[in-house]
Amino acid sequence: MDNIILKVCTKVLFTPIILFGLYVQFHGDFGPGGGFQAGVIVAAAFILYAMVFSVEDCKVIMPPKLNFFLLALGAFLYGFVGIVGLILGDPYLSYDVLGSSKEAGQHIGILLVEFGVGLTVCNVMISLFYSFANFNFGKKNND
Amino acid sequence: MIGEIIINAFLVTLMLTIAVFIINTRKVISTILLAGTYSLVAALMFVSLDAVDVAFTEASVGAGISTILFLAALSNLPKEETEEKFNIKHIYAICTCTLVAGLLIWASYDLPLVGQLENPVHQHLAQDFIEGSRNHIGIPNVVTSILASYRGYDTFGETVVIYTAGIAVLVLLYDKVSNSSKPNPRKNK
Repeated sequence: MDNIILKVCTKVLFTPIILFGLYVQFHGDFGPGGGFQAGVIVAAAFILYAMVFSVEDCKVIMPPKLNFFLLALGAFLYGFVGIVGLILGDPYLSYDVLGSSKEAGQHIGILLVEFGVGLTVCNVMISLFYSFANFNFGKKNND
Repeated sequence: MIGEIIINAFLVTLMLTIAVFIINTRKVISTILLAGTYSLVAALMFVSLDAVDVAFTEASVGAGISTILFLAALSNLPKEETEEKFNIKHIYAICTCTLVAGLLIWASYDLPLVGQLENPVHQHLAQDFIEGSRNHIGIPNVVTSILASYRGYDTFGETVVIYTAGIAVLVLLYDKVSNSSKPNPRKNK
């Protein structure tokens, strides 16, 4: 797509979208939001970039290998928080022992777990877009 | 009270209209965009029910990302659906739909009214969750404390489901992606 307005707008909007995603991610304890929504919003920034420029350009800023790594890391982080609690002598995924007090432990646990959800959702969405955008469903290339 | 009824009636009418248009349209792209609009109206519906977190999810996932993913996936399909001739199978389908819809509407008369304090959903565990969220967890947003702490197992399950779905799509498509992406078909357009 060769439209200078779209390209400039995308470059201007890219960072605020990710910033808004991070706000939704880490403000989920106090207002509406959380890992799922934040992951989708951050993924939307990358998908916008891929649509306006090209999928190949987007693969430069978000390489598929990093994408797959973060995709797995999110789910791993979630399970790992539970296992840390298990080692410190608490039931699985109850975060009381993670901090100095019960409340602090809950805050840390919820923050980490939501971040894991956000990472997985964001990278699954980006990798889905990569797969769909580049895959030719049984058709030959035009060139 | 009367304003709420007007808003809800407007939203329901809008959703029904969009649903009728989705059924009637034959263009794939219009169907996808109308489905996205439907999700957006559903999100407004959730806002009017004070379920802001669900509305946020519906707006971002239902109206935003799934529309884009559908557009990306279906851009390789034919642009229009072929019109199907009316045949005897449609009568069975109409009968089944009418029957199921009738049963659902009949069952809806047994549902409690929305927003009543004595509803079963507000009696059982909700009290503990609301008090525990304030006293034990110390987080103002009860939805987050239920989602991440009280129902942490469920959310872990959801995350693993999303992870598995992503992996499944990559297993099916990735090998072919890396082969076909060398001469990028999008770049030449």
